[in-house]
This record gives sequence, structure tokens and C-alpha cells, in this order.
Amino acid sequence: MTEPAKHDRLMEHEYDGIAEYDNPMPGWWVFTFWLTIVFAVAYALNIGGIGTGDGRVAEYEKDMAAFRAANSAPSAGTSAEALLAIAGDREKREEGREVFTRTCAACHAADGGGIIGPNLTDDNWLHGGRIDQINATIANGVLAKGMPAWGKILKPKEVDEVTAYVWSLRGTRPARPKPPEGELVAR
Amino acid sequence: MTGPGANAAARSPGGAALLDEFSYDDDVVRKFLFASVAWGIVGMLVGLVIALQMADPRFNFGLPFTSFGRLRPLHTNAVIFAFAGNAFFTGCYYSTQRLVKARMFSDALSRIHFWGWQLIIVAAALTLPFGYTQAKEYAELEWPIDIAIAVVWVVFAVNFIGTLVKRRERHLYVALWFYLASIVTVALLHIFNNLSMPAGWLKSYSIYAGVQDAFMQWWYGHNAVAFFLTTPFLGLMYYFMPKAAEGPVFSYRLSILHFWSLVFLYIWAGPHHLHYTALPEWASTVGMLFSVMLWAPSWGGMINGLLTLRGGWAKVVDDPILKFFVVGITAYGMSTFEGPMLSIKSVNALAHYTDWIIAHVHTGALGWNGFLAAGMVYWLLPRLFQAPLYSKRLAELHFWIATFGILLYVVAIYSAGVTQGLMWRAFDETGRLSYPDFVETVARLVPMYWTRVLGGSLYLAGMLVFMYNIVMTWRRRPAVYEVPVVRAAPLARAAAPEPEDGHRLGGVFPLRLHRTWERMPVTFTVLVLVAVVVASLFEVIPTFLIKSNVPTIASVKPYTPLELYGRDMYIREGCFNCHSQMVRPLRYETERYGEYSKPGESVYEHPFLWGSRRIGPDLAREGGKYPNLWHVRHFANPRELAAKSIMPGYAQFATNAIDWEVIPGRIRAMAMIGVPYGPAVTDAVPMARRQAALIAADIEKAGGPGGLADREVVAIVAYLQRLGQDIRGTAAAAATPAGAAGAGAPAGGATPAGATPAGATTPAPARGGR
Repeated sequence: MTEPAKHDRLMEHEYDGIAEYDNPMPGWWVFTFWLTIVFAVAYALNIGGIGTGDGRVAEYEKDMAAFRAANSAPSAGTSAEALLAIAGDREKREEGREVFTRTCAACHAADGGGIIGPNLTDDNWLHGGRIDQINATIANGVLAKGMPAWGKILKPKEVDEVTAYVWSLRGTRPARPKPPEGELVAR
Repeated sequence: MTGPGANAAARSPGGAALLDEFSYDDDVVRKFLFASVAWGIVGMLVGLVIALQMADPRFNFGLPFTSFGRLRPLHTNAVIFAFAGNAFFTGCYYSTQRLVKARMFSDALSRIHFWGWQLIIVAAALTLPFGYTQAKEYAELEWPIDIAIAVVWVVFAVNFIGTLVKRRERHLYVALWFYLASIVTVALLHIFNNLSMPAGWLKSYSIYAGVQDAFMQWWYGHNAVAFFLTTPFLGLMYYFMPKAAEGPVFSYRLSILHFWSLVFLYIWAGPHHLHYTALPEWASTVGMLFSVMLWAPSWGGMINGLLTLRGGWAKVVDDPILKFFVVGITAYGMSTFEGPMLSIKSVNALAHYTDWIIAHVHTGALGWNGFLAAGMVYWLLPRLFQAPLYSKRLAELHFWIATFGILLYVVAIYSAGVTQGLMWRAFDETGRLSYPDFVETVARLVPMYWTRVLGGSLYLAGMLVFMYNIVMTWRRRPAVYEVPVVRAAPLARAAAPEPEDGHRLGGVFPLRLHRTWERMPVTFTVLVLVAVVVASLFEVIPTFLIKSNVPTIASVKPYTPLELYGRDMYIREGCFNCHSQMVRPLRYETERYGEYSKPGESVYEHPFLWGSRRIGPDLAREGGKYPNLWHVRHFANPRELAAKSIMPGYAQFATNAIDWEVIPGRIRAMAMIGVPYGPAVTDAVPMARRQAALIAADIEKAGGPGGLADREVVAIVAYLQRLGQDIRGTAAAAATPAGAAGAGAPAGGATPAGATPAGATTPAPARGGR
């Protein structure tokens, strides 16, 4: 059924009724093949801006250096005064509660009573009970005990707001409080 | 069932004409055809189940043997080896006999091949859901089944090559070249990737470790795509396309060039699966460049397929067979353009570990393999069952719903892949990851996962229509199949040399020489074998012999007996299907997970567990990130700790008892393949019990359940807490900013000799320090 083009010439052979034309290979196809071969050689030899350059590790180190240059070291934690001011702001505490539910509740329970992590509603603190100490614990984590450094994950504003919310939990009555751990700290 | 199988020489009374009389074995073709479609439906049904599991984890049904990690390999094995495999055998047995004018070499071997292959598939279905796996993709089946595969494959090879030897057609047609290359290369790939040390009847460890194992696996894995899903189907295309189109193949020269370039180039391409991993960069660069050069050879097949239709396009309008072929070949063209593109490092950095790869393979599998098989079967039905096709309209329906299903599937999953890849690498203006919580990048994909469920359901519905049409056509078969007698002259012993016709390929290579090779099946086989072996050795030898490829790290020690048991659980549950253990040297990776993975970290990894897809986060630096109790609770119900998680629950870990008895045998097997276990070989169980007691005590002390010291959960927790710890003892720990992680957990504490699993009870620094 195929209408042979003028230059089509059938090969003499056929197999189970299947014949083959002796057509030349399409020019654009041959060109593409050569193009990929030239590309491969150029890439392998790092010619003309294509190729692996200095290699993946060097590229990574360069990228990291550029990043460090552009982003100076994280500033010191928010001051205790500023944190107390945030803790006094109902709206910000509410923001903090949302962060808490999302990130902290899994280990500290939704009401702060503690599960894997310690109870946050009592007067005992393992890593300091001042508001700036709580802020630092959240930001830097206590890796040896499984508390992640949330400062790497949450935005600084979120860390401060969740600090404010944790601060507000003190004295509340959780459903199943974990027994106190750490030092008794007077507020 | 066999008909007049024996070849009878029919001599005219005068004794002058020498025509053999024989018949073709179509019975075995019918068997393979039914097996292909039936297994295809099963495999795609399992695919639909795992697609549902990604949209909603409740579809894991809370049962160990229906969880994603165990069913995903069942899906891939079923569609590759059962559906596509049997489809290839269907077309291969039908066309080979006719192309060489001879019945198969041995009816007995044909049946051993058929029943043996189906038994292997049944064995796969009876082992994979129960957690028996080698943890290497598309090579999951355990060693006794691997041996059976090798035996059955050799039976097939002998039967096929035997048929070529006793052929009555002087030259081998291009379809046969492709079959031959597939058969020879699959045997090579299967045997060398599956070499392993048994540690029980259904348990073994790859003899290769880490970097070398990864290399072998993707040499195999990519060439499984090449020589199980591509070259066999190109062979089928070369027979069934001109048959259905009733026209000559477009270009014989193109056939020659694209065949040899495909076979030679494909075998190098595997390492492109390992860009930015701990595989030496030269190897993945070679993989990329050969993949790029594969573009044109792949398209050579597409051109020869589509241009065979020149002048006959009008016929496609009312022929469902040609519709399937045209869309199938087009899908082949799309995925073989995409493949080289994905092999380019910068593209791969985005696509690797994402659904983009899943979309890519489904364009190939559903479009190319599925549609080529469908077109072929529709063409075969009236011929095999000697009755008209039951319904052409149903065939048209099959075509349209399956095409629509593919479109829905791939569009959704391409979007999912690109979305997730971009989310992983996004930084906000303060230089932090925009989506630091991994589960956010999964939750975003759920609507696309539902779309895929819809697309996949449509494709499966098409398969059911297909099966119905097949069964109804089969019911119209005659009471007894007519077995036509074929007459052909035997080949004369001596043949005249090929005439010199002056044709040159590319102006250089004389076509006459190739015509000569086509007359010599054994020589042709050897040439193919040389092409694939030489190419393989160029990559294999340096990977295994050059020491500098894998700089050793003194602090990297073997797993303790309990950790090894936990690692075997990780393998059993198929965790590697969703979690990688390979952090790439890319800023957004090290920011998320920690220090990038080094080759020396994997030297005791038999098999390597680097993974290829991140449905969950990378676990290479998981050790010490969370307390033991966190893991216990997370296994019991992942959604209690991460509300949007789609991970199946593993509550049974807390009740399953540790099978202490198996530990010594596993340690011995590991020691035999070179893992320096020292005293752990004789003291494995007490060491494991001591470590288990320590972890169980820590869990209880932290407020968790008691009595876990002989429960499986402590083993897998021990393993997870070990991940990434060894390297923290040296360079990485030194690079950690002073005071940032303090604690100073001794990373070397988990050596088998010491059996003081410090890393397991005292979580060490969580991140690589950057």
C-alpha cells in the first residue's frame, strides 16, 4: 500500500513477505548523530565552556563559599526584653501556637504536657528556664537528646513566636503531664 | 497440541525438487499471548494499588505484605518480566519461525521455556510480598529464583539459536538481530548483577559492595530497559509494523546502523543513574555522554517504524492496530529523546529522586511496550485463533481510553516530579530552605497522585476490554486448529558469496560484508557479544580496580549484629523503594540532610542501599537525628508525628520477635564476602542481645513501652541510629563548628568488637555541621 518515492529501490530480499527499501539514511538524522558525538568529545575534553569543569565537588565548594559570602553568620538570638514583648502580644502567641502544633506537639504533646520531650508546663527546666534560654534551646536544639535545631528549619520570627507560646504554657494544666525533669526554676 | 512437528523431506516422484514440509508451532505462541495479557492485568492492578497508597496511605491496609515497599517491586517485576517478557516471547516465537522458515528447534524446550517462565513469575508473586528481596531494582528476586531464571533463559537461547541454525532462509532479517542481541545481553546482565552470597534459602547478600554494587546494579538496571524493553520490542516492531502496514521497511541501511550503534552505545549508559552520587565522576560522565549519543540511534528505530507507513497514513484512521503502533512508536521517540536529556547532569540534578523518572518510564512502558504489545496481539488474534476479531469497536475503545489514561498519568506525574524537585532546591531570601519540612513537598503532590490513579485506572480498564476481546475471539476458534503445511527448500551447504553491488554504508562500510554476517547466526551472536562485553569492560575494570575511586575512611566500621538484622528488616520491608541513602554534593541537599555521602562510607554495604526515589526523605544522616522513642512511635503510626506523612505504619515491629537464630549465619555470609567481622562471627547473638537491651532500656526510660528488648523494633532503630554516624568520627566532626553539637558521641562506639553501641543509645550530632 505504500507509495514508493521515486528514489526508493527495493532490496532483492524479502522475509516472510517483508521487503526493505535501500533508502539512504535521512540527512538530519545523520547530522544529529554527528552532533551528539561532537558534543560528547567536547564535553569529555572540557572544550568551549561545556564539560564537567573542575568536577562536582569543586563546584559544590564554590557554591558553598558564594553562599557563605552572601549570607553572613546568623545574628545572635533575640533579646529577653524583645521576647517578653512578643509573649505579651496575643496575636503573636497565637502564631506561635500554630507553629507549636505543627512542629513541637509530636514530641511535647499538643498541650505541652510532654511525651518524648519534657513537660513544658511545669517549673522545671533542663536547659534553662529564662525566656532567652528557651529561645536558644529551640533555635540550636539539644542534639544529644534528640531535640532538633529548629533555627535551621523555622524562620527567626517563628522561633520567637513559638518561644512566646511555650513561655505562656507555664502553669497550664495538661491532660497527661510528664513528671518534672531538670532544675526547678523560679520565674 | 503440537501438530505435525517433524520435518519431512518431500521429494517429488522424480526426486528432483527438494522441498521440506513442516509446520509452525503456534500453540506455544497462544500460550505466551494469554500469559502476557493476564499477567499484564495483574501487574497493572498492583500498580494501581501502589498508586492509591501514595495518594492515601490507608490503602496500605495495615498489613505487612500489602505495604508499598513490598508491592512496588511486585508491580515492576510483573509488568517488566511477566507482561512485557511474555509479550516479547509471543511475538518472538511467532515471527522467528516464519522469518527463518523453520519450526522452533525443539517443542520440548519451547514448553520448558513457557512453563518455567510462568513458574518464576509465580515464585516472584509468592516471595516479594513476604519480604524476600535482594534489594536491587528489577533484580529483587532471591538467588534460587535467579538460578531458575538463568536456566530458563539458557533454554530459550538454545531454542532460539538452534532454530536459526536449522533455518531455511539464508539471511537473518533485522528483527532477528534485535532478538539475538536481547537474548545474549540479558543473560550476561542477569548473571553478573545477581552474583551473591546466600545466607539461607531465601536470603543473600550481593558480593559487590557500595560503589561497585551501585555500578553493577545500574549497568544491569539501565540495560534491562535497553535489552528487555527496547531491543526485543524493536525486533517485534520490525516484524509486525510492515506486516500490519503491508509495506516495505523504510531503510535497510538505517536498520544496520541504528542496530549496531544502539547495541554498542546502550551498554555504557547505566551510570547516568548515579550522577552526583559517590560513584566516581568519570563513570557517571561516561554514562551521560553515551546516553546523549544514544539519541540518534534510538530515533533510527522510530524513523524506520513510522516511515514504513509512508503513503499509508490514511489507513491509520480506521485500523486500531496501526493506531497502537503509531502511538507506541511515538512514545518510544519521546522517551528516547527524554532519556538523553535526563542523563545530562544539570537536568538530572533536578529530576533524580523525583517522580519525573517515574513519568519517563511510564511513557515508555505504557506507550511503547504496552501499545506495541496491544497492536501485535490484535494483529495476531485472527491468525492464531483462526477466527475474525470479536470486535474492532472494542479495540478502538481500548486504544482511546488507554491513550487518554497515559496522558492523564504522565502529565500528572511530570508535574509532580518537577514540583517536588523545585521545592527541594528552593531557598528563601534569608538563605534557608523554603520547604525544610520534607513532608510539605510530599503533601503538595497528593492531587497529582489522585490524577495518576484516574489515568492508571483508565489504562487498566483498557486492558480489561482487551482481555474481553481476546477471550471472545478465542471462543470463536475452530474445534481443531488448522495446521498449515509449509514447504521450503533446505539451505544448500555451500552458498555463493554475496555479490559485490558497490553499496557502501556512509561511503565506507560495504553492505556486502553485513549481508555476509547475516548468513552466519553464530558469528553474528559473537559479534554482538563482543560489542556489549568490550563496552562493559571499559567501565567495569576501572570501577573495580582503581583504588582511588573509593578512598577508605578509617572510622567506617561494619554494622553490629543487631544493626545488620535491622538493615535486613529495612531490606525486607523495601524501605529503599522510598528512602535514599545518598546525599549529593549540592547545597540544597547538604543543607537539608547534612554532609554529602562519600564513597568510603559504603564499603560494607552489601547490597548498596543508595535508593533511586525519595518518596520519603534521605536517611543517610538519620542516625542521632531523633531519639529512639521517636522512631518507636513513628513506626507505630507515622501520622502521629508527621500529620501529612504517607508512610505505611509498621506497628508489627513492636510485636514481632527478633529471630536471633538467623544472625550468626548472616554474619558469616558477610564475613565470607570480605566484611571484617572479627569476634562478631562467633559472638554475634550475645552482642546483639546486649545492644538490644541497651536500646530497649533507653526507650523505657524515655517514657516509652517496656519489654522491647527482644522485639524487632529495637533492631531497626539500632540500624537507623547508626546511619551516618561513622563519618562523624573524623572529617565531618572536625568540620562541625565547635559547640554546635557538643555531645561528642563516640562514633566508633558501634564497632562489632566493642559492641557498645554508643550511637544507638546516645544520639549524636544530627547534622553534618554546615
